[in-house]
Amino acid sequence: MSHSQESGGRRLDRRRFLTTAAVGGATIVGASALGGLDAEAAFAEPMDSLDTAIPAAFAEGRVVAMNRNVLDVAGSHGERYLIQLTNATSIWKLRTTTAESIEVGDGLYARGAAMPDGTIAADAVWVNIVNVYVTIRGIAKDRLHLTHGNEELVGHIVPDTTTASYLGGALTADLSRTRIGQEAQVLGAWRPADGNIDIARVSLGH
Amino acid sequence: MIPLVSNLAPLVCALLLAVTGAGKLFGRQTAQLAANTVLVRVLNDGRRATLALRTVGGVELALAAALLASPEALLPGVGTAVLGAGFTGYLAYARATAPESSCGCSAAAEGPIGVRSFARAGLVAAGGVAAAGADAAWWSQLTRRPGGSALVLAAAAVLLLCASADLDHVWLLPLRKARIKVFGNPLPSAAGERVPVAATVQLLENSLAWQTAMPVVRSALLDHWDDEGWRVLRYAGSYRDARGTHPVSVLFALDLTLTVDTAPNPAVRVSLIDEETEEVVPSSVLTPVPVRTALPLAT
Repeated sequence: MSHSQESGGRRLDRRRFLTTAAVGGATIVGASALGGLDAEAAFAEPMDSLDTAIPAAFAEGRVVAMNRNVLDVAGSHGERYLIQLTNATSIWKLRTTTAESIEVGDGLYARGAAMPDGTIAADAVWVNIVNVYVTIRGIAKDRLHLTHGNEELVGHIVPDTTTASYLGGALTADLSRTRIGQEAQVLGAWRPADGNIDIARVSLGH
Repeated sequence: MIPLVSNLAPLVCALLLAVTGAGKLFGRQTAQLAANTVLVRVLNDGRRATLALRTVGGVELALAAALLASPEALLPGVGTAVLGAGFTGYLAYARATAPESSCGCSAAAEGPIGVRSFARAGLVAAGGVAAAGADAAWWSQLTRRPGGSALVLAAAAVLLLCASADLDHVWLLPLRKARIKVFGNPLPSAAGERVPVAATVQLLENSLAWQTAMPVVRSALLDHWDDEGWRVLRYAGSYRDARGTHPVSVLFALDLTLTVDTAPNPAVRVSLIDEETEEVVPSSVLTPVPVRTALPLAT
């Protein structure tokens, strides 16, 4: 992030203001259950647009160029998308991040609303996201050796980011219960440079 | 030492080539294997690729027989070295033009071309060169220096095991498991550490608050921070009233120590802040989730 001192300060002020609003006059809702819009939602069906006049749009491909907040994306099947990022667009690249972290060559999934000029105003963008079923073949201090079918993969552990879930339990930073030979679902960010994965979440024993 | 290695090289090369050659020539999966290699594109045809792979298998077997039968002859050794060099060239070509293709080298395992494939091809070439320099038959070498021969053969076996993925489950995985048993799991156990943000998001997404606010939320997680025991999660959203559609920040505040394991029914503070006016939007725009009524039970 290229925040100047001043804008960093503004950001904190803004958070302070929002915290007061969130904790002060908030509606409290208790109790349980239903789906989500986290990283996994990148693989779900697009939601309908709130405004029925604006159709929901979905894009998938590789970033070929970036111009300010517009991403030029080449789809996997020859399509071309122009994706407009706004300050209401959530951007995921291993973690919640900002538009500055997107690079040319990255893969992405985006969803948003189709604009009359043909661009997509993105609500959410997931960069380099991968979701694979693997077998753990090796455990080292900073990485997991994985096989996906016959393919070998290295999954890097990222401090303060990589989490694990055991038997459907809560996500935890405790990774020490992984075992060699276990089947696992890995959600993470693909690294275009070396083809490996930074692990966001590893789910075991589902 | 060098003559010992070079006199035993025909035996080692012959055994390796016999295994891989027989796998390619007689293997049932050769056709399937060939389909994943770069040969298909080069030869324009799956059947021709299979035939090529089987022919290479036949050549490997013939070389193995020649190496075993006349270890002192120059030709089998040179042939093996040329074969090894050919494999290396083929791998380099395949790697450059179709990096995701399978190498088709050892018949049993499929997999992308990596360091191990090159190491194997290099070993074949080096073994061929060593075999060409043999000045005594391997059987006389074995009887003359049984101890040294056993050492060289064992070293060759270890080298080949390391260069091949086919037998990883026999030695590499048990070795890694044993290391973890002895030294413990090297990954962080993070006992008593703070709850990861992902766990708070998971808690939120399992909550009734999420279900209620879902129609308003448009984005995924935009920002998050911790403040006075609360973890605040910010999403972008929009709501409609008589004047049109308005962008809002949807804020959720949760106890930052809770997870789905410790709090199955968390209390979540939800608020909407209008992005244009910075005013709190009345929560009446949220659609409460209807309480499920129990079905009547037959008695």
